[in-house]
Amino acid sequence: MSPMWGSTAQYEVMHWSWAIAVYLFLAGISAGSIIVSLLVKWNRHERSNSSIWDAMIKSGTLVAPVSILAGLFLLVADLGRPLSFYWLLIRFNPLSVMSLGVLFLLIYTPIVLVFTLLVFERTIVKYTWLSPLGSFIEWVKSLHSYAKTIEYFLMAAALCVGTYTGFLLSALYAIPLWNSPVLPIVFLTSSISSGIAVNILIGLVFFKSTINTESIKYLLVLDLRVIMTELPLLGIFFVGLLYGGGEVSSMAKAALSHGGLALVFWLGVIGIGLLLPLATVILALRSHVYRVGYILTNATAVLLGVLLLRYYIIYAGQIYLG
Amino acid sequence: MAKAYRLIFDENLCIGCQACNVACRLENDVPEGVYRLQVHVTTQGVFPHLGMHFERRSCVMCDEPPCVSVCPTGASFQSKDGLVHIHESQCITCKYCILACPYHARFINPVKNVVEKCTFCFDSRLSKALDPACVSVCTTEALRFGDVSQENSTVAMLSRKETLLFPKAHLGTKPKVCFIPARKGVKV
Amino acid sequence: MQGSLRAWEPSILKGEDKWVRSVCEMCSSRCAIEVRVVDQKPVWLQGNAFDARIHSSICARGLSGVSQLYDQDRLRTPLMRVGRRGENRWREASWDEALSFVASSMQRLKQNYGAQSMLFSSKTGESFDLLSSFAANYGSPNTFSHWSSCPIAIESALEQTFGERAYRDFEHADYIVNFGHNLFEGLDIPLSKAMARFAANPSKKLIVLDPRFSIMAGKADEWYPIKAGQDLAFVLSLLHVWLRDAKYDHAFVRRYCIGLDALKASLKETTPQWQERYTGIDAKTIERLADEIYRAAPRCILDWGHKATTSPAEFQRTRAILIANVLMGNVEKKGGIYFAKTPEMLNALIQEPLFPLLQSPYPTPEVGIARIDGAGEERSAYRFVPKKHGVLNAIADAILTQQPYAIKGWFLTRHNPLVTVADPQKMRTAMASLDLIVVNDIYMSDTAMMADVVLPESTYLERDESIHLHHGLVPSYTMRNRALTPLHRTRSLHEIVRSLADALGFSHAYPWKTMQELRAYQAKGNSALLESLVKRGYVQATIPHLFLREEASARAFCERYAHVEPRHVLEMFERRRKTPSGKIELFCAHIEKAFEGYGVPCAVDMDVQQNYPYTLISGKSAIHTNGHTQNVPYLHALMSDNPLWMHPSTAKAHGLRQNDTCYIENEIGKEKVKVFLTEGIRPDTLFLYMGFGRQTPLLPKIDRKGSSASKLLPLKTAPVCGAMITNTGVRIVRA
Repeated sequence: MSPMWGSTAQYEVMHWSWAIAVYLFLAGISAGSIIVSLLVKWNRHERSNSSIWDAMIKSGTLVAPVSILAGLFLLVADLGRPLSFYWLLIRFNPLSVMSLGVLFLLIYTPIVLVFTLLVFERTIVKYTWLSPLGSFIEWVKSLHSYAKTIEYFLMAAALCVGTYTGFLLSALYAIPLWNSPVLPIVFLTSSISSGIAVNILIGLVFFKSTINTESIKYLLVLDLRVIMTELPLLGIFFVGLLYGGGEVSSMAKAALSHGGLALVFWLGVIGIGLLLPLATVILALRSHVYRVGYILTNATAVLLGVLLLRYYIIYAGQIYLG
Repeated sequence: MAKAYRLIFDENLCIGCQACNVACRLENDVPEGVYRLQVHVTTQGVFPHLGMHFERRSCVMCDEPPCVSVCPTGASFQSKDGLVHIHESQCITCKYCILACPYHARFINPVKNVVEKCTFCFDSRLSKALDPACVSVCTTEALRFGDVSQENSTVAMLSRKETLLFPKAHLGTKPKVCFIPARKGVKV
Repeated sequence: MQGSLRAWEPSILKGEDKWVRSVCEMCSSRCAIEVRVVDQKPVWLQGNAFDARIHSSICARGLSGVSQLYDQDRLRTPLMRVGRRGENRWREASWDEALSFVASSMQRLKQNYGAQSMLFSSKTGESFDLLSSFAANYGSPNTFSHWSSCPIAIESALEQTFGERAYRDFEHADYIVNFGHNLFEGLDIPLSKAMARFAANPSKKLIVLDPRFSIMAGKADEWYPIKAGQDLAFVLSLLHVWLRDAKYDHAFVRRYCIGLDALKASLKETTPQWQERYTGIDAKTIERLADEIYRAAPRCILDWGHKATTSPAEFQRTRAILIANVLMGNVEKKGGIYFAKTPEMLNALIQEPLFPLLQSPYPTPEVGIARIDGAGEERSAYRFVPKKHGVLNAIADAILTQQPYAIKGWFLTRHNPLVTVADPQKMRTAMASLDLIVVNDIYMSDTAMMADVVLPESTYLERDESIHLHHGLVPSYTMRNRALTPLHRTRSLHEIVRSLADALGFSHAYPWKTMQELRAYQAKGNSALLESLVKRGYVQATIPHLFLREEASARAFCERYAHVEPRHVLEMFERRRKTPSGKIELFCAHIEKAFEGYGVPCAVDMDVQQNYPYTLISGKSAIHTNGHTQNVPYLHALMSDNPLWMHPSTAKAHGLRQNDTCYIENEIGKEKVKVFLTEGIRPDTLFLYMGFGRQTPLLPKIDRKGSSASKLLPLKTAPVCGAMITNTGVRIVRA
């Protein structure tokens, strides 16, 4: 082709679009929320009056399966030929991160579902139409001696799910903006932060119980810690690209400075997703104003930032190819 | 001895006429709007010191194909003679391979809704020991195709004589398509 | 006539996979092709390897023959106009109705205004030969080929200088100077392939002069962005240097040419310094190039080209280039230029009828009436324009002024003058005043829109045609064989002319009724030749290539044919030429007599910009053929627009950016254009690819897409040769 004849249209198609960005977000939330749930569960002290922690565990076990199932649905729907998705289940390519991802999800999803059933046992028993599940739960509880093992497996699987999405992208050396070893770490960290945010959000909205200023303060500090991990990680990621030499460097520069997409990054990912919560937390902690409102806004902002990060990476990678 | 296919594109002979482009479309029934093969013609430099460059854009049939290692269902596979094929029935059109290809050679066939690319005209020609369509129609015979492991083949002789450049060689894909770079014109 | 010759008749079997050998018509290079037909459907096309110069090569247009064949927008049935001309209302008609309407209308015109009131035009080639014979038998002298819009200057210059056409041996040359002859976009596969190999050969040198950085320029060792229309100045300065330093083939010029003194006189002032202000090329460069070319002589060619944009100096320019070749002594030398070795010449030399002789199946009697443009007439401005070919630019005015007599009708086939001829606005007005317009075409083109009757022609894949003899070093024969029967209710021109000849009462003029009969007549019953042409599509006897002044070549020929001696070969060269003096004419006395100052090349008529700030030039692309292929699906998908090439500094001066819309205008017209910024053009020049900017409401894909350069071309013609001038001055106007 030249400017005179032929066409570059097929080279400019966004093959992975918003559906994939949302899937990565949902997979991240799912893994992140269950990891946070498990961490809280493992580190909770029985005697502390912490209904908030109960709320965190409960929301994690609720969010994880819902988001992963929604994500998987999106993935299959986004395929060019959704009805042929069964090939993913009957063929396995150990070299393909996507194939490995399918494997991890096949392990992760059932365990998460079982875990959810266990945590919500009492609620399930209350509703008679869920009674078949009840007998299933009874069987699972009989395995309670293995409970800790199942939880360790779940943690491992969740970590795999949270990390593989990063490797999915970084494995492609054809795409300069994705091909960084830091990307999986960024994705994992961001997914854990989204896990915290969503657990706080759902926990406070649906599993209120008693909230006191102490717990709110703690959550704010948690928020701060996560943001302070994410900001430098993103910095390392992009600085790494900028020092990547040649094409990688110029693509990274362009991606960070051109047009609407760069705005999405600076305003959305950094501004709303990280700096706004950071400012809020610091101010709140300074002036000892511990309000639920702040936490809820922060959590939403963090979640928006994580979604926009996925969106930005997916699109920037395909646009700035060099 | 295993075949070692090579396709040599001589930029000095290529005039960008797109005969190869249309031949491919006709031979392989490529749907409108997508291309298995195009030649990209660019003018570089500042008037009056200019250069015109011709670049073949198609699958380069890597010996180490990234599109094969990323395919979750094995629909994208490499045969014994090193050619990369697509099992249409196993393709779920997840587009991972399209993104993985450093040469942007793959695309979605809008009619069949599966991933497609240049196949060196394997089914209709190569499997019958005929040259790919593009090679046979080139108006200036800028394309040479054959088995470089055969000492007396055109491509083997040309490979011994000429400077060959392998596109994006630094990525380690070991493409079978290579080119003889233009000797004339400004290069920017 | 048919009898035993039926044996060679091609039979189309059902349910088969076969190869049909034929001749392409996607452009007029007419390369030999072969078509793979599966179950009566052409599925693949490639070059016919029996022509070794082509091998299996075929270009994008040739390959799109199938796409054209199955194009939904093709004409399928005869159409008759309803309502006013150009209103675009039609009704379908049967062939009988359409043809009897045409015949009776033509009969009526002949009775009321004389046969000469009818014009006949076609692209040069078989259709033109057939149409000319039809016109002559009808009684009209007014036949027009496309020559005056294309190669007439070259044909004229060759005729006046050598008395015949000359050919170029690109294959063996070491040095070529190319004057915008863009063989890499205006493709002709044998020539394009030879030039590509030449350009890719590091031991050879290619100089290209073109205001635009075309693909040919992209392959040059040195590209000079010469100012449009100034080729003549460049060549005159080269000639000046060679004559000044006595660096030319003295012996050849002394022995075989006349007019050296007149040439010397004409070149006194045309120094390298003098040409600088015309061409923009440094004087030192001229000196160096002159020296390099002379060193490479005789294996050098100054390529007079084909269809580069023309200037009023076209005749002088081409003559100057031919003379440059002559001075370098490359005539009938390997790597130089040569004349056709006709079948008659070779058969006489070899004393064997190795090359079949053909007889023309198109009897064309003399018509004793003067043409409307005075072509070939004693005291006319166009006296040196061949009577058969005419001057297209003269038509519009002749119709509008009704001078020298009334014109009432026009029959066109394979011709689209509203796209390819200058000032189509005026042509449209002229056509509107005609009583009868008949167009034979495969698409409802711009010109067909003005017709009263549109006849749908079968495409070349659906036509059997006659034998074509190609001249060159060794004569070759091709024949078009159809790959399938017509898909729609279309017919070939032969069938149409045959029917009309019957209806108009001169059926007896043609010694054939069917194509088989025509071929048999043409081949004088040579069934072996016909059989070979059906099977192989390309026939050429193998003889050594004969360059008459190349000793080694003559020797090889004599070794092959024992009874031929070197003196026979030399005699062949030294025979009297078909020029007035019998020699190669550097100075044409008879031209000087009719057009003072044009007998020998001199610096005249070079200004094409004419006080406008920019020169608009145009050219061919490898994707489309002039105004023919724009609707063909495969080709339309590749290129559907022709933005105006403009240098960034020019754009900046007018506040224009990439893809902006603006207008270009001059005293002839105003045309909307889209801006394409490129470094590949002179800042004072603008360029458009040919064939866009159409008015074809029945071809919505191409209707009003792009721009037409023709709308800005004046109806002026180049002196002596009558060539259409395609370089034109324009100004840029903001939208």
